[in-house]
Amino acid sequence: MRKLVVVSGASRGLGLAICRQLLQTGYAVLALARTHSQDLQQLQQQQPALHFMAADLAELAEIPALCSRIVKAFGRPYALINNAAVGYDGVLATMHNSEIGSLLNINVQAPILLSKYLLRPMLLNQSGRIVNISSIIARTGFNGLSVYAASKAALEGFSKSLAREVGKAGITVNCVAPGYMQTEMTSSLQGDKLESIKRRSPLGRLATPDDAAAAVLYLLSEQAGAVTGTVITVDAGSTA
Amino acid sequence: MTKTDLHHQIRNCLQQVAELANCQLIEPVTDDTVLLQSGLDSLGFAMLVAQLEEELGFDPFSEMEIAVYPRTFAEFVSIYQQYQLKYAGG
Repeated sequence: MRKLVVVSGASRGLGLAICRQLLQTGYAVLALARTHSQDLQQLQQQQPALHFMAADLAELAEIPALCSRIVKAFGRPYALINNAAVGYDGVLATMHNSEIGSLLNINVQAPILLSKYLLRPMLLNQSGRIVNISSIIARTGFNGLSVYAASKAALEGFSKSLAREVGKAGITVNCVAPGYMQTEMTSSLQGDKLESIKRRSPLGRLATPDDAAAAVLYLLSEQAGAVTGTVITVDAGSTA
Repeated sequence: MTKTDLHHQIRNCLQQVAELANCQLIEPVTDDTVLLQSGLDSLGFAMLVAQLEEELGFDPFSEMEIAVYPRTFAEFVSIYQQYQLKYAGG
């Protein structure tokens, strides 16, 4: 039977690339997203092992019931990929407090709650994988991304301690930290800024969503059974 | 399900989960047994709550407005009994 992987933020960008690679590798995938995007629908036509459930992770109070529905409908998941995130940019001094709150809810609290509730069936299986999508911004500074950076650093800290907590139940918890990728989230990054990031990278390019998705696939593999509590950076060398 | 059945089911679950978590329960576990001294570790309790949620269809601790940590086995069972009544009553 195919192992089930739950992927949040699956409708586009990195989430979609992760779903595509998981399906090609033989996993069953439950895609969580607010909207059933056209890309996701197309992928579903080619891949019947792709399932979709609409979920707005900003609704934190709904997460326990969402996880119950997932387990009832699809059984105990093998892995959870916490990929959904928002990336508002703007200087802190003028960022609206409601935006700070909603970013932290979606980028930090939601993945913590999804982990809490989907970890439980993994505990009963005595095996599982959690991968949290961080960013190189968790450890390097970038003007205008302080709150986003705080959220990603929080996820990395969360992952390390959780890895210690659940290791003896055969569950690994890791992060993948992509560098700048050309996705809708980074669409505001254009022109000189973008060129300068490319130029400064040792490989002379940006990492792609497929590059980062491959690191997620590795962490889910049996070969990664001894890897937990760590961060895999996929940034074409930008932070080297 | 009667109160006694639920009590029995929780006790069975406790045994199963202790085995799965590789924990040695004290003998006997009674209503007055303090949970922290029962032999089940904290991860084991998480598994107990998870297993009961799969079997009963609810997790009373997630539904509570405030954090409650039962001290004894009887207190733990009583929380499930209260929520079972709520579910049975709709």
